[in-house]
Amino acid sequence: MKRPVLIIGGLCLMIFTLALARVAIVNSISTTGEELVTIQTELEEYKRKNEILKEKYLQESSLIHLEEKAEKFGFVEAKSQINLSAPLPLARN
Amino acid sequence: MTWRYRFALGLFFLLFFFVVCRLFYWQVVRAQELVSLGKAQYGKEVSLTTERGEIKTADDFSIVANKLAYLVYVNPRLVKERDTYAERLSPLLEIEEATISAVLSENKEKYWVALKQTVDNKTKERIANLNLPGVGFEEKRLRFYPEGSLSAKLLGFVGKDDYGEDKGYFGLEGYYDKQLRGKAGTATIIHDASGQPILAKMNESVHKIDGRNLVLHIDRTLQYMLDRELKKGIETYGAVGGMAAIMNPKTGGILAMSSFPSYDPRSYHEYSDKLYRNPFITDTYEPGSTLKPLVMGSAINLDLLTPDTQCDICAGPVSVSGYEVKTWNDKYTANSTMTEVIQHSDNTGMVFVGRLLGLDRLLGYFNKFGIGEMTGIDLQGEIAPDLRPRDDWYAIDLATATFGQGITVTPIELLTAFSAIANGGNRMEPHVVASVETSEGDIINIPPKVLNKPVSAQTARIITEMMVNAVDKGESKWAKPKGYRIAGKTGTAQIPVAGHYDPNKTITSFVGFGPADDPQFLMLVVIDRPSSSIYGSETAAPLFFNVAKHVLAYYGIPPTKSESEEEE
Repeated sequence: MKRPVLIIGGLCLMIFTLALARVAIVNSISTTGEELVTIQTELEEYKRKNEILKEKYLQESSLIHLEEKAEKFGFVEAKSQINLSAPLPLARN
Repeated sequence: MTWRYRFALGLFFLLFFFVVCRLFYWQVVRAQELVSLGKAQYGKEVSLTTERGEIKTADDFSIVANKLAYLVYVNPRLVKERDTYAERLSPLLEIEEATISAVLSENKEKYWVALKQTVDNKTKERIANLNLPGVGFEEKRLRFYPEGSLSAKLLGFVGKDDYGEDKGYFGLEGYYDKQLRGKAGTATIIHDASGQPILAKMNESVHKIDGRNLVLHIDRTLQYMLDRELKKGIETYGAVGGMAAIMNPKTGGILAMSSFPSYDPRSYHEYSDKLYRNPFITDTYEPGSTLKPLVMGSAINLDLLTPDTQCDICAGPVSVSGYEVKTWNDKYTANSTMTEVIQHSDNTGMVFVGRLLGLDRLLGYFNKFGIGEMTGIDLQGEIAPDLRPRDDWYAIDLATATFGQGITVTPIELLTAFSAIANGGNRMEPHVVASVETSEGDIINIPPKVLNKPVSAQTARIITEMMVNAVDKGESKWAKPKGYRIAGKTGTAQIPVAGHYDPNKTITSFVGFGPADDPQFLMLVVIDRPSSSIYGSETAAPLFFNVAKHVLAYYGIPPTKSESEEEE
């Protein structure tokens, strides 16, 4: 008679412990949904900022833009080129 | 006792029956509706849109990217003072006050009305800062072209399909639409009673694959320069249009491709749809004298002649089936060598070559050079005009085909054919995309592909020398970059109009590569109906050499001869 009582008692204890553990875990993660929303919102915001920055960077580094800037700063296109095919004379003294 | 017992039992059965009926009603009759209602209460299914892949030039610059944009809408029921509302929004939306006012009053009973389809982020922020009641924004992605309309016809554009989804049309956007588009997925977001998502149930998104990026062979600097020089050239020569492409003859990679008139992909709908096509792969023309080196190469490859073989019919016009074949300037050189035939672009000399070749061998070599066949370039819309059937060829057709008249090609066919001359006899498949980047970061390289070997390496060298000679001593030698060995050939083809050739309208072209001893670029320039001169040597050739000078400088290729050596 003693053995079944022990087994039943043990099972009840286990159920009670697991129930407590579940309550504890559920309690600890019950607010993560809210945190998750915050993190997701932040992530979206960073992604958006990245996209805007990328757009700006591409615009600024485009050849059309660089040519405009170069003209504004007074650069002109090189019309001739010099190729050094023989060693230059050196001043010895 | 018995009737009571039976009554109680009956009552229980009746109650049980009602319960079963009710359960049947909820679980079978209204099952679908309740499942949907339940889902709506604890979660929702959202469609996960994919981001379209970018198109990058060889220097990893996104020539086509995506940018954030917003649709501005308003709830007219929340708008109290329409005039003040319109007055504040008008300058930001760049819509007249009266128009905004009219939209608001016409839709005053509605909950949602769009005010402007697309505004950028800055404008959106400024509108949001006004804190106007009822104004909202819908985020969307648009194609963004940092280099404006550069290489528009090569890239194509993104429009909508029958279901209102983004779809690529023409060029790369059309050809690689599936790769760029990716695959949309769905996600079920489960939330609790307060609307917060439940962490354990978050990962139920399925099958979303972002679009792949394309990395091109296109060199942004060369493309920019080619666009600019071609546009200038068309203006200078008073032409109707023009096109040009630069290829790496060793890989078949297209380094630049341009054509005008063009359109702006940002506002493609404002242009005629005739401008959407890329004429370099869709338009056919008679190549004229640019075909001569290929015909000559065929005869040399068969050992029918050498560069020094003399033409014994070149002393004057040649009669073929009652037609008289003349040279372009009506000047004739008796016993001219094959090198001189190419140098002077002598039509009678080519008739001589055609007679040695014969029709079957000529057609066989056209086939080997890919004339009449698609090149397989990775752009949407390529066509290839068929060569006429063998039985429809007459003696005069054979004669005119040797100098590129009476036969049509697309520019890409001709450029690809010449890759065999510039690449030791190996004809390369033209390709715009060098590699594909997956959304996981994997890179799939597209290796160069040799299509076939129409002529031997030795024949390719001989033809190259003949083309170098044609550049050094030909009509356009004045335009050539000094000190460099450039192989090239001009072309001036008359345009067939209503059964005859228009004497005043031509398509001029120049095909060539350089440096001749180790070609780094192969280029074809085609000018449509120039008005300043009808000759290729005075229009397409100078434009070719002008671009070639830039290409040589860009690649840092030094000249092999000094200017004084060149003059000797």
